[in-house]
Amino acid sequence: MLDAKHGGATVASVRDLKVHFQSKRGVVHAVDGVSFDIRDGETLGLVGETGCGKSVTGRSFLRLLPVPPGILAGGSVMFSAHEVCTGCEGTGCETCEGTGRKAGQDRSVNLLGIPSEDMRRIRGDRIAMIFQDPGKALNPTLPVGAQIAEVFLQHRTDELIALAGLPADTVGAVRRFASQSPRLGDGWLLSLPGARAQRRRVEEALATMVAGALAETQVPNPAKLMARYPHELSGGMRQRVMIAQALACNPDLLIADEPTTALDVTVEARILELIRNLQQRRKTSVLYISHDLSLVRRISDRVAVMYAGRIVEIGTTTEVFANPRHPYTRGLMAAVPGADTPRGRLAAIRGTVPELVDPPAACRFCGRCPYETSACRNNDPFLEAITPSHLVACFIDHPAPSGERPNYGRVTA
Amino acid sequence: MHLRDYILRRLMVLPVLVIGVSIVVFTLTRVGGSPIGIYLSHEMTPDEVAEIEARFNLDKPVWVQYIYWIRGIAMGDFGWSGVAAAPVADVFPLKLAATMELAFASGLVALFLGIALGTYAGARRNRLPDHVTRIVAVSGASLPQFWFGILLLIIFWAEIGIAPIGRSDATIFASIAHPTGLYTVDAILAGSPSAFWDAIWHLVLPSVTLGYGATAIIARMMRSALVEELQQDYVDAARAKGLAERIVLKRHARRNALVPTVTVIGLTFGFLLQGTITVEIIFRWPGLGRWMADSVLRGDQATLMTYVLFTSVLFLVVNLIVDLVYANLDRRVTLGK
Repeated sequence: MLDAKHGGATVASVRDLKVHFQSKRGVVHAVDGVSFDIRDGETLGLVGETGCGKSVTGRSFLRLLPVPPGILAGGSVMFSAHEVCTGCEGTGCETCEGTGRKAGQDRSVNLLGIPSEDMRRIRGDRIAMIFQDPGKALNPTLPVGAQIAEVFLQHRTDELIALAGLPADTVGAVRRFASQSPRLGDGWLLSLPGARAQRRRVEEALATMVAGALAETQVPNPAKLMARYPHELSGGMRQRVMIAQALACNPDLLIADEPTTALDVTVEARILELIRNLQQRRKTSVLYISHDLSLVRRISDRVAVMYAGRIVEIGTTTEVFANPRHPYTRGLMAAVPGADTPRGRLAAIRGTVPELVDPPAACRFCGRCPYETSACRNNDPFLEAITPSHLVACFIDHPAPSGERPNYGRVTA
Repeated sequence: MHLRDYILRRLMVLPVLVIGVSIVVFTLTRVGGSPIGIYLSHEMTPDEVAEIEARFNLDKPVWVQYIYWIRGIAMGDFGWSGVAAAPVADVFPLKLAATMELAFASGLVALFLGIALGTYAGARRNRLPDHVTRIVAVSGASLPQFWFGILLLIIFWAEIGIAPIGRSDATIFASIAHPTGLYTVDAILAGSPSAFWDAIWHLVLPSVTLGYGATAIIARMMRSALVEELQQDYVDAARAKGLAERIVLKRHARRNALVPTVTVIGLTFGFLLQGTITVEIIFRWPGLGRWMADSVLRGDQATLMTYVLFTSVLFLVVNLIVDLVYANLDRRVTLGK
């Protein structure tokens, strides 16, 4: 449905992403050959259990891996930022749906290959991230306003100077102040009479921008909230601050790493609605990482199911939930109790996630799969299409090079 | 609670603590024997001894003697120092200035060097700079000052002969006035570069000896605190905003790592004061520490008691400052609860 509206343009495409971790027992293949696309304006839900590599995949977009011990072992993450709409020069018109920006002009970069300076220009500006626990992702020693302000200082120096009513060619200590790159002695320079007034105007402009960003998240009294410290706010408020911070520069892609896991259910609903509203207004694509199937079903346009460092099934939400093809997806869905689930024991997938140290060339779900055969133990399945939009990595739908083909009619374990 | 109210409340408790400390000091000192020793000589007859005892009220009960002592202190009379052959109150400020100059020099260096080294090492965890810093820090924390100081003295004073000993050159000392007793400050006030360099030059070896251990402790603490902070989510969140690594480190991680480090810095101050005793003896520094050591050996009780009383008050004030800095760094700390 979204494809038709946006012409199916791709914001980001991950190809054969491999992230390994060096551990004492060997190389852990945390993400092992993951490929998927994120289309313009869509929400892609990435589901899987703890440790399946979904967070690492999400962080790869911002290259936020601990390097060592995290190793980018291969693959690419191509990203094409939106460009200023040619029809309206960024003021908002029909063709760009009022956002002033447009996807398309295939000028994509490999996020894993660009210099770190370029990466920093994308972080927080074109790609932003919301973290799982807003209590931990906000710095306890800085007021929340100052933390949001950093995004503007980093990426919106020119706008800041314009809003402060200063000439665009402002240089020296004031510009360095507005781009948070102070040099030794700037404190003294900025205390001189002329600079002090300019600095105050920049600070006022900054406060206006921060208050604006906070107001977007429907917080009461944003101006007052700015001076508060994270510990003085509730969990829901903190997550609103995180969202304001993430969406401050109107990013093209938002990585939401379980943003509601640390919140209680009533707050969760409001935060989800907030993200949804902001996303639809700004046409931001969202990669929504979660272990909560029912939540992902509610908010996603498409769903990717991850297991042990691989994507095992991907398709539109309707396809995946109406016709799950991978035994793991089926197992996950069976484990969610519904209104018609009889009392008694809950369904669970037997066994535990395998250790990903030097995995063999076999299906990762072997040992837990009720339908596995010799084909699964000797061959490594990869994603293949069963409909144009629905891909599954299982020999149930595609013949294996060798061995007996599994099918849902026969339980082998 | 207002900051001013909090400081006032803490300061109001101070006299109570001082009285408590004074009782402990007095009792412990008197356990070591009567202070009459420094007034006696072998030729004295028992009558003369009794006369001296009566003159200094040493024939009265101990608690009466305590009250006499406290009353004296209240009126600015801290007793007679047998070692300095002068009233304690007259000598104390001069010696204090000497010790403070030394302690400040090494304390400031330890503070900045410790934080800088710790940050440098913590940001480069398990890489060469971290290992080098670790070696420097561990040796600094484990080399005894009396050994390290003498080693420096042998190398730079005895062998190479470039380092001076004592606190200043005699002729340069006589060339300027000393209103503050801090020779570096006096030299600046007098506008004399040669006196300033002389003061600094004399300070180098003693403050290196004194500050090495403190630097090591602060650096190690800072390093481990920073390593811990760098693993926190907010550091990645700061990076995700596109901030330069320099800002992530300075504004985010280091500021938080300073919180536990400040506590250690407060404790290090006591370590420094204690160290002045050794260092002043080794480098012939005419400060409180050396005076103190002589007083202990020669039973100069008035000096001893004044010193202990003074350092206790100093410690309480330093702790107050640490608490204030702590609350300023970490807003989750509420004062006065």
